[in-house]
Parts: sequence; structure tokens; C-alpha cells
Amino acid sequence: MKSFWRDGDRVREVELKSLDGGRWRVRVDDSEFELAAERMPDGKLRLVGESGVTVAEVTPEGARRFVRLGVLDFVLERETGGSRRAVGGTHDGGMEAPMPGVVTKVMVVVGDEVAKGQPLVALEAMKMEHLIRAPRPGRVKKVAASPGQMVQAGVALVELEADAG
Amino acid sequence: MFKKVLIANRGEITCRVAATLHEMGIRSVAVYSEADRGALHTRVCDEARFIGPPEARESYLNAEAIVRAATESGADAVHPGFGFLAENAAFAEAVEAAGLTFIGPTAAQIRAMGDKREARRLAEAAGVPIVPGAEGADGRALVRAANAMGYPVIIKAALGGGGKGMQAAHDAKHLAEAIEAAQRVAASAFGDAAVYVEKLLEHARHIEVQVLGDGRGRAVHVFERDCTLQRRHQKVVEEAPAPTLTADQRAIVTHAAVRLAEAVKYRGAGTIETLLTREGQVYFLEMNTRLQVEHPVTELVTGIDLVRAQLEIAATGKLPFEQHAIRRHGHAIEARLYAEDAARDFLPQVGTATRVRWPDGPFVRVDAGVESGDAVTVHYDPMLAKIIAYAPTREAAIERLLGALDDTRVHGVVTNLPFLRALLRAPAVRSGSYDTEWVEREFLAGFATLMRAPAPELALAAVAIAEASGAPVARSATPNGAARPIDPFAQLGRWRQQGLGE
Repeated sequence: MKSFWRDGDRVREVELKSLDGGRWRVRVDDSEFELAAERMPDGKLRLVGESGVTVAEVTPEGARRFVRLGVLDFVLERETGGSRRAVGGTHDGGMEAPMPGVVTKVMVVVGDEVAKGQPLVALEAMKMEHLIRAPRPGRVKKVAASPGQMVQAGVALVELEADAG
Repeated sequence: MFKKVLIANRGEITCRVAATLHEMGIRSVAVYSEADRGALHTRVCDEARFIGPPEARESYLNAEAIVRAATESGADAVHPGFGFLAENAAFAEAVEAAGLTFIGPTAAQIRAMGDKREARRLAEAAGVPIVPGAEGADGRALVRAANAMGYPVIIKAALGGGGKGMQAAHDAKHLAEAIEAAQRVAASAFGDAAVYVEKLLEHARHIEVQVLGDGRGRAVHVFERDCTLQRRHQKVVEEAPAPTLTADQRAIVTHAAVRLAEAVKYRGAGTIETLLTREGQVYFLEMNTRLQVEHPVTELVTGIDLVRAQLEIAATGKLPFEQHAIRRHGHAIEARLYAEDAARDFLPQVGTATRVRWPDGPFVRVDAGVESGDAVTVHYDPMLAKIIAYAPTREAAIERLLGALDDTRVHGVVTNLPFLRALLRAPAVRSGSYDTEWVEREFLAGFATLMRAPAPELALAAVAIAEASGAPVARSATPNGAARPIDPFAQLGRWRQQGLGE
């Protein structure tokens, strides 16, 4: 059985095959190995492989899985259907709210020609002001933000017209 | 002494203040907003009062609702914690007007030190050197002043503090944008867009002195803290004593701090923040008229409970101890755990801290505001906890803190734990050779590379196997904390550490 996991800005592919005696044949991207897995009474996984024994703790939270391996933590996100969309906030270069917050200033209106890196919207959340900048030069097609407005992460605040080229 | 104290705050500092109240046999009253119904700080206090909607403006910043809660609960004093209304003079006045004691300085002192321009004048009058700087009626005047002073400069909110809204500019070209951004944050955060400009002292260390004043002109210092490890002017790791401070420099900076506190007849606990330049000069930055986030490192090296000292000064008008009785021993270091994604430019994170495990062990202290199942919302500061370690030497304290961070697990919301662990392992941090800009100038690039590395294959295998083997991995809690994963020992609370549970 195959599954896809977002790991930072890449998508990783995992294929599992159940073998006898709690053993698994695992393929992660291009690398294949075998593991014995045992669930301990506290819910942790005891993984025994060629390199030794590792205790893993997996906590699901929505599509995300928080994994602790030994003393290191990783966060992976389930990708359904192996889709490879970009991480929120970098979609089309970052005109989405990267965090929930309050819009403090809108610096462009529809029709404006903007240069790459030009500030478009100022967003404030949790003590920080964050400037959303144009990822490329272009003409503003839509502005979906107004000062004082509360926005959720991932909401597109400004849209640029499609590249002429 | 007071019989009942209302804590006008939330999160870890409310829990921290409540612990001292509990120890002193004083009843504690928490306040909470709609977003904090059932939050940890409401559970550790003897009672809790609802004060309003999630937006801080309508709850934790709502002086009227808080004073009403204090009066209705029969409290005889109010402890403001830090942040929110802690440095709001009108709130201190409202508390006193209701016949209650405000555990902190006088409203006039808050007002004077709250206007950073006025604070600079007071420091100068007390003979404490101030950072070269200028005020200006408008942006153009500030640009002129900056041009005259030379770059780089830093723009600060006149009524700001704590690093909030500060903007550095390295040349005239970026200054206008920096002034505008600083004014915007100042207006929204402090209700006044006024800003001033200071010379940005490069390669400096942030040294601050803890003082206690009796309100009648006597003050003592409780030594210094070094808070040089900062990111975007926000402290991340603090320690006491300051590792690079010479005995002479320590004498200069602590005496200057006491002089300023005595000159303004300061009442209660306060902190004088300074910059120590590479050349060994000390300059006054600002005075914070409240308990600091990083107060635990001072407590660990002196054995003084600063919250107890605040309560005693507020109740008696006397300093609880003389200067000669304040001794320092060993080294303490603190790391601030934030709900921030270090892999994505430290963006604040929200969610549910589904499974939380705090470290314990000898000489490790955790001041936490969340437990398993608690929500982290967009409405408040993303600091979840402070993890503090004490040891005889700095080296041993760092080792102990690293061990404690290894034992820390927060699942359900992304935290800056990987950043803290990497930071404390950096050779420059071990050797103490860094300044306030070092994290951004030298550390972050290498750290970002580390964060971009793919997760080990075993992590992916673990996730896929956990998924495939079906059994519930952990019960996911709902945001309001209704379905908490059950940890039987968590219910034992403070008895757990003493081994008296079950």
C-alpha cells in the first residue's frame, strides 16, 4: 500500500508490504528495507531494523503526523492521491496569508503594476508584522483584503494576472 | 499580607504567579476569555472569572472587566503578570481606584518609563549613559536625525517595549519604509504612532539588571541577566550571570541600575535593560516596569522568589532583604518554547497541543502554560513554555538544558524546539562569543539548511506503519480540550514530583 507525505517542500512516497510476524517490507522513495514493528502498551512503536532498535511516537493531528524518533521530532503531512500541490504560502509565490492574522495595510489596488518584491499587504499576528510581497512583476487582478480584516492561513489576499508570457 | 490575589493575565505567567500564591497560602483568581475556557491557567488557580470574547482588546486588555472580576471575587490585590495590562498606567489607577492594591510600580512610574523618550531623559538625569538617539515630530525629522547620526539606526515605538515593532534601517533608502512599518505597529499595538530613532549599536550584548525598589527611594539589584541570543529583537535564550561581563562592568551596570531605580523612587520589581558594546561601554536601553519573562534565571542563581518579593513589597512597602544578603551562585539558562515553525520563517502556529511532555529531573524548571489537549490560538502570544536549567557552571547548565529539551515533546502544534536544540549546540553559543545580531547574521542560514534536510526514512516508515497497523495512535483532542488523552499521572499535579502519587 502506497502513501504520500509532505516533508518540508518535498513529497515523499512510502510503499508498505506486510510480511509475517509483524515484519514489514518498506520502500521510501528509492530506498528499500525491512523492519519489524511492535506497538508497545503506551502506543509507541518499537521499530527493529538492520541499524538497531528505534522507538517512534506518532501523533496524528488532522492531516499532519508528529513523529518523534529518539529525541528528534519531524512533522509530515498526508497527501491524498499523491497530489503535489505547493505548500501554503508559497503557492504562486506567496500572496496568501502565511499565518492567521489581521490585515493592517493594503498597499495596492486592482490594476496596479507591481514589481517583484514590492510589498502588497501588511499582516499582523502574534507580535509580528509580516509583509506579503509580489513574487513576480505583474498587474494586480484581485485584492481580497481590507485593513482590519481577520484572515486565516492560506487565504489568497492578492491575485496577479497570469503571466503575459 | 493579601488574602486573595487576582492575576490579570493568562498562560504560563499566570500559572507561575499562582504557584507562589499557593505556597504563601494566598487564594488565587484567574481570568479567562472565551478562547481560554478550561485553559491550564484557569485550572491551577483557586477560582476563575470569565472576562470576555477571545480578542485580547475585549478580555485581557479590558481593564474594566478585569477590575470588576477582582472586586466581585473579593480579591484585595491584582498581579498583572507581564504583557497585556502590566505596563498600562490607567489600569494601575483603575485597580487602586477600586480600593485594591496593584502589585507593581505606581501609575506615574509606569507612565514615565512607558514613554521610552521620557525614560531616556530620566536615565540621563540619573547619570546612566543612554544610546545616542533622537526624537522627531514626523518621519522627515527622523530621517534628518538618522542622516546626521549615521547608519545603521533602529526605529522604536515611543510607547513600545519588549522589542515589539522595532525596525532597523541600514541606509537612508530603507529608512522611510522602516519608519512607516514601525509607526503602523506602534499605532495598532500601543495606540500611539509616535516613534523615535536610536543608533543601532552593532556587536553589542544585551545585559539587563533586575531591581527591586521600596517606592520610597531605596532599591537593591538582584544581579544581571544576559539576553543576547535574540531573533528579530525577540529574546530566545537568557541566562544569569552574564558570561562575558567582567567584575568591573558588573559593578558599573548594577550600580547604574540601582541609581536609576532610587532616583525615580521605584516601587516593586523592574528591569533596567542595557547594551554592552564590544568596547565595554554600557548604554541604557529602557526600563521595564514589571516582572520579566526571563525572571526564573535570576531566581535560580539567587534563590529569591521574585513574585514573593513583589507581593511583600506591595503589602508592606519594605524591601524584603538588604543588598548584602543577595548572593549569587552557579549558572542558570532558559529557553523559550514558541509555537512557531522554524522551517517556515518562524511563522506562528495554531492548533491543539495534543500530546505534551515536559522534562523533569534535578535542577530543571518548566514554566508552562499548556498541557496535553490545550489549544494554541491565534489570539495571543505564541510562547508555550520556558524551560530552565541550573548547574554549577555555564557549560553544565547548557548540557542540562539540552538534556531537558531532548525530554521535551510537544505534538499537535509545531514548535521552535529544533531551533532551540540547534542553537544551544552551536559552538559560538558554547563559547559565549556572539552578539544580539548573531542569530540572524550567522546562525540562521546554516540552520535553514539543516531544516531543509529530508526527514529520515525511518520517520516515514513509522508514520506509514502507524497508519497501516490501524490501532489508534493517540486520541486527537478537540480544540476546546474536551477529549484529552488521559495521562493518569497528569491528574496528580504537584504531588507527582514528590513521589506521593498513587
